Amino acid sequence: MIKVLIAEDDKLCRTILDNNLKKWGYEVLTTENGKEAWAAIQKDKVQIAILDWIMPEVDGVELCEKIRKTNLGHYIYIIMLTIKDQQTDIRKGFAAGVDDYITKPFDTHELKARLQTGKRIIGLQNQLLESQKKLQELAIHDTLTNLLNRYEILNVLQDEFHRALREGTFVSTVMLDIDFFKNINDRHGHGVGDEVLIEVASRLKKTLRRYDKIGRYGGDEFLVVLPGCDQKNATRISDRLRRAVCGKSIETEAGLLTVTISAGCASTEKTTSSSIENLVKISDKAMYHAKNVGRNCVVAS
Amino acid sequence: MNEETQQNLPIDYPSALARIGNDESFLKELLELYLTDFEAKHTDLKTAIEVMDFTSIQELGHSLKGSSANLSLTFLQEASFEMELAGRDRDIDKAKKAHLALQQEFESLKTHLAAKN
Repeated sequence: MIKVLIAEDDKLCRTILDNNLKKWGYEVLTTENGKEAWAAIQKDKVQIAILDWIMPEVDGVELCEKIRKTNLGHYIYIIMLTIKDQQTDIRKGFAAGVDDYITKPFDTHELKARLQTGKRIIGLQNQLLESQKKLQELAIHDTLTNLLNRYEILNVLQDEFHRALREGTFVSTVMLDIDFFKNINDRHGHGVGDEVLIEVASRLKKTLRRYDKIGRYGGDEFLVVLPGCDQKNATRISDRLRRAVCGKSIETEAGLLTVTISAGCASTEKTTSSSIENLVKISDKAMYHAKNVGRNCVVAS
Repeated sequence: MNEETQQNLPIDYPSALARIGNDESFLKELLELYLTDFEAKHTDLKTAIEVMDFTSIQELGHSLKGSSANLSLTFLQEASFEMELAGRDRDIDKAKKAHLALQQEFESLKTHLAAKN
């Protein structure tokens, strides 16, 4: 339901507006002056505002300017109530950011139609915001596994790295690689390979702490960022991740497959990393060492 | 009701009802609200005229004009507008004249409503 705010100091006009709007299916908030209206706007998600031009405390134009200058997080469609002899001021209203106006005493059908226009504009705005949100999500996520993509996980690491420096704490990284993944693809096809990637990603994500972050770093590589984590705990968490993957077979189109991962972890506790690139490099090197010593294991740098 | 008779009434019923979805009981409620509001503003107007507070005279005139217009109380709307102009022009004689007109039209409205009920 669309929420409409009425700011009108005349009780009679306010009552008529309130009655009509509710009959037409709007949720209504009524206020008596500009100051009350501003307080209500900051508290509630008002989508349409019907403002009287002349009001005590803060008038309609001033309120409109305030609304337009403030980032409320959503658009408010503003309809100004004017009286016939104020028409020369209409330009002032539009310059302040008013979307539409209606003269008092208003014609009900006209008001209803103008509100419908406002509703349409708000609908378009909401669609735009929704699309924007989806695009933003797509921009930072890997579409197959729904984990953060490489770009975003490195952004996260950058933030956590600097936070650790500021706060005098640690950050650890874990590089994980699926063992013999090329064999899975070659033997069973890329479709099965994708099924394995999705399931491994899911198990890893579920095993992490709430504030840890994971991203798909490469084809079958994952990078985990562990904020506030020292080497000992990073090793412990890495092994937990390893066991989450190999502990149960993965159901695929090709049947049940046993999948393992090799993990290499690094922590700012034990390294003198001056950059995130260096930290990632160290955990990558540790992961390769895990491959060399037999796979399905964890090596700490 | 013929057009001539309608024109003499203190309230333009078709116009007032159209504004509120032809709800007669709601119109009755609004008229009661108007009567109470008018009494309060009338007292303030009397004081404003006595002390020649033209700003208040103008504001009260403007306010009464708005509420009268909302209920299509044509004659009261006109008298209120005269009051608003008197305040704007700082004309005390005009204000007193408008005050008289307002009182007369208000009595006329009350008589009409009492007869209707």
